[in-house]
Amino acid sequence: MLWLSDWWAAYQSTLAFSMVNAFFALSSYAVMATGILSFATVAFAAAGGFLGVQLLAVFGVPVWLALPAAALAGCVASVAVSLIFLRLESHWLALASLALILITRILVLNSPALTGGVNGLSVPVEAPLWLLALLLAGTALVFWRLSSSWYGIAACAVREDPAVASSLGIAPKRVQLVAFAISGGVGGLGGVLLAMVLQFISPETYYINIAFTMIAAVVLGGSYHWAGAIVGALVFTALPVLMQALVPAVQDVANGLALLVIMIVLPRGLVDPRAWRARQAAK
Amino acid sequence: MQLLLEQVVNGCAIGSLYGLFAIGFGLVFATLGILNAAHGTYASFAAIAGYYAATSAGLPFIASTSVGVAAGAALAVMVDQVAFQPLRHRKAGMIGALITSIAFWMILDRLAGLATGEQSLSFPAGTYPGGTWMVGSLPLPQMQVVAIVSLIVVAAGVHWLIAHSRLGAAMRAVGWNEAAAQIAGVNPRLVILATAALAGATSALAGVLAGISTNNVSASLGEGMLLKGFAAVVVGGYEDVRGAAIAGLGLGIAEVLSAQYISTSMRDAITYALLLGFLVLRPRGLFGRVSFVRA
Repeated sequence: MLWLSDWWAAYQSTLAFSMVNAFFALSSYAVMATGILSFATVAFAAAGGFLGVQLLAVFGVPVWLALPAAALAGCVASVAVSLIFLRLESHWLALASLALILITRILVLNSPALTGGVNGLSVPVEAPLWLLALLLAGTALVFWRLSSSWYGIAACAVREDPAVASSLGIAPKRVQLVAFAISGGVGGLGGVLLAMVLQFISPETYYINIAFTMIAAVVLGGSYHWAGAIVGALVFTALPVLMQALVPAVQDVANGLALLVIMIVLPRGLVDPRAWRARQAAK
Repeated sequence: MQLLLEQVVNGCAIGSLYGLFAIGFGLVFATLGILNAAHGTYASFAAIAGYYAATSAGLPFIASTSVGVAAGAALAVMVDQVAFQPLRHRKAGMIGALITSIAFWMILDRLAGLATGEQSLSFPAGTYPGGTWMVGSLPLPQMQVVAIVSLIVVAAGVHWLIAHSRLGAAMRAVGWNEAAAQIAGVNPRLVILATAALAGATSALAGVLAGISTNNVSASLGEGMLLKGFAAVVVGGYEDVRGAAIAGLGLGIAEVLSAQYISTSMRDAITYALLLGFLVLRPRGLFGRVSFVRA
């Protein structure tokens, strides 16, 4: 039994991070499921993260109240942002969402009273693993129920072809607005949970690297099913830890190569409903 | 007045580098439809190749710059063939190519770190024109003149190539619709290779010149260029080379002047505020035209 407790001690934080990353991946998935490539989740995470930490650290608000507040902050930010973003075409929207991350960092750096500025904020409350698991299970349940709801089917139609969707009486922009609201809520929640796992946040916490990582996690896991986001986040968090153990000197090179190979071999990701259907049809 | 003029020249020089980089970045985005996260590493590697050509091989400025540019073009073609070509007939779209470009970004960024020994190198004096010309009382460092002249020549050349040459017409056709271009007798494979090489070479030139003038030859060089080049592409519009060049210049000038007259900490804020303003007010960039999109 000793090896098990050793293993647990070594990989506990990996598990915590992969669950937090799963929130970000689900948040990115929510908009991707309506055919939008957006990196804006990071900005929503920053909104939720900094507000949540302020509530926890300065106002001493209990965790059960701070978490919904963070989700709400992410949600409000995402709806405000999407009112501008949804006027843009797909390519421009992707560029704009990257710009939003750069602007968020500047805002965070230049409002030290709210965010701690360059020095960041330390977080007095730690997120226990069971809480992360519980919240993730709850969020997954919501995504599961959504996927077979009217909204889920409408989102799928908008992703495949917005023109056909609107001729069927679905308003693509409205579906995408709802998608952004969901993305913001989940992203804001993920933002504060990341802060509680790291116990420290700074402007660099919510920046470009994490944006690219979460999009890569969704696509790697499979962007056509909500479970893909969770699988992708798990793989993408575990992969660097594994490579660190195997080839510490060229860890990033090995990560990149693994990502490259998976994408070229499985461009639709690890969890691919279409491949299941094809396999079933072949039987 | 003297200070203002000097700062405007400084801004033009920095902005020229942003513009040069943005031309390459925008070309890949417009013609190949790829948001290439690895593009910044082309600039890093070009600067590294140029550095070793100048120090180890002892080549003069023009030759070492050419080595850097050739290295950037070769790297761009290699990345395109390994990371993007396998996805093209699978219709993986912009997202698939974005992910493989992120993969290459991770790989090349690390390799660039290894190539420079995790530190920032600088071109030794004498391997580049380090003198200063005087125009009246206004000092003009030669490297700044080189940067500005490069931008003018490259922007004019690439714009002519795209707007008026047969290759440019083929590039625009492939960017619009690859299948239709092929039916009309264009070989998309060749056009894609030429575009990747041209984009790589342009950004590589920016990388070498930036490596010399900022005394920073390292992996971080490319990342900085990528963010600023990206901003220039958004402001200028990726459909037109002139837009990227002018936006790059404008960003450089705005950056230097705001650092001088407002505050250093607000320098990036102004760049990105400009970016946001353009996205909201003029989302297709300086020279953008409204076009219809097929459903």
